[in-house]
Amino acid sequence: MSILNLDITKDRCPMTFVKTKLKLEELEPGDTLEILLTAGEPLNNVPRTATEQGYTVLETTLVKENIYKVVIRK
Amino acid sequence: MALTDSQIERYSRHIILKEVGGKGQQKLLASRVLIIGAGGLGAPVALYLAAAGIGTIGIADADNVDLSNLQRQVIHFTPDIGKPKVDSAREKIQAINPDVQVRCYHEWINAANIMGIIGEYDFVVDATDNFAAKFLINDACILAGKPYSHGGILQFVGQTITVLPGESTCYRCIFPTPPPKDAIPTCSQAGVIGVLPGVIGSIQATEAIKFLLGKGELLAGRLLMYDALKMKFRDVAINRNPNCPLCGEHPTITEARDELDLLTVCDLEQ
Amino acid sequence: MTITVNGKKTDLPENSGRTIDSLLAELDVSQPLYVTVELNGEILERNAFDATLVATGDTIEFLYFMGGGC
Repeated sequence: MSILNLDITKDRCPMTFVKTKLKLEELEPGDTLEILLTAGEPLNNVPRTATEQGYTVLETTLVKENIYKVVIRK
Repeated sequence: MALTDSQIERYSRHIILKEVGGKGQQKLLASRVLIIGAGGLGAPVALYLAAAGIGTIGIADADNVDLSNLQRQVIHFTPDIGKPKVDSAREKIQAINPDVQVRCYHEWINAANIMGIIGEYDFVVDATDNFAAKFLINDACILAGKPYSHGGILQFVGQTITVLPGESTCYRCIFPTPPPKDAIPTCSQAGVIGVLPGVIGSIQATEAIKFLLGKGELLAGRLLMYDALKMKFRDVAINRNPNCPLCGEHPTITEARDELDLLTVCDLEQ
Repeated sequence: MTITVNGKKTDLPENSGRTIDSLLAELDVSQPLYVTVELNGEILERNAFDATLVATGDTIEFLYFMGGGC
């Protein structure tokens, strides 16, 4: 099982989910994507939209200050 | 081919959609759609397919833009009067989206050229304004196995059906033979509310996009009818007709042909 | 008798001899010479219009030519 990484801390919605989606398309079923994103809109939107589209959010952890790590599995 | 940063931004609202994604957008960019007719129906089809990033759009029309077109053919502007419609259309398509390659056919589509032209496309849109063309397009697409969208409008009503050759109802299943010349009024005789082809054409573009993505339910075997005055849509299920002269059990039509006597005076005087 | 015409329930005076042809006249259907008739889900051959009887509960769709697009 592969683990891919994505840093979208510099991006604004909706590009945050767009980039997440494109990265998720590269995954095989069972792979995970570890995303670094900021609190606020990205944190509110990305995990929720991923779940709506059939992906599984495994964890959401505060890394430092405003930055969260979200792990999504295909 | 991977999407560039500019394409990721341009098509971001498509990419977000579960039914599209980057993969779907790449499919659209690799697709080829032919629009026969650059008038009332062809205009919204061309505009929306360009915006959607259909990689190759073919557009066929022998006419030039005239003033009376501008009430409804929203791809043509006042400075385009006198210009071939295909050139006017190409300019707007490329201004919306330089990713799109446009192929222009500034000629009448007829039995002699149609099979060669449609062969290069994945999906065809009938955006024509006469029965000779509608029957020709249906016959050619069925014979060539090309899926297509049929559209027709008049005054305040419109209808559309999507035809999947070998699978679903074709135009001749419903209307086995064309009406005699001048039996049914044209838009120039009876009039048409300008926005009407915008609605039907947008639906035709939607069907093309869904077909190319392989998503959603098409209007295959369903005739969608729109009444703008009553603001009602209804769709009627229509099975394939075993007596259809083209796709039925005992076909009598085996090649594309021109029904020249159906063309009205308005068409012939161009 | 009650039939459904173009999606609407339509009451007609009882008439056991009513054919599709006579129905076209009775309802003043447009394009009577060219209209396509779908009866209970199947397209009816034009040459059967005068021989096909309309029965209560029938579902009929009238489908018209629309040739505009320019």
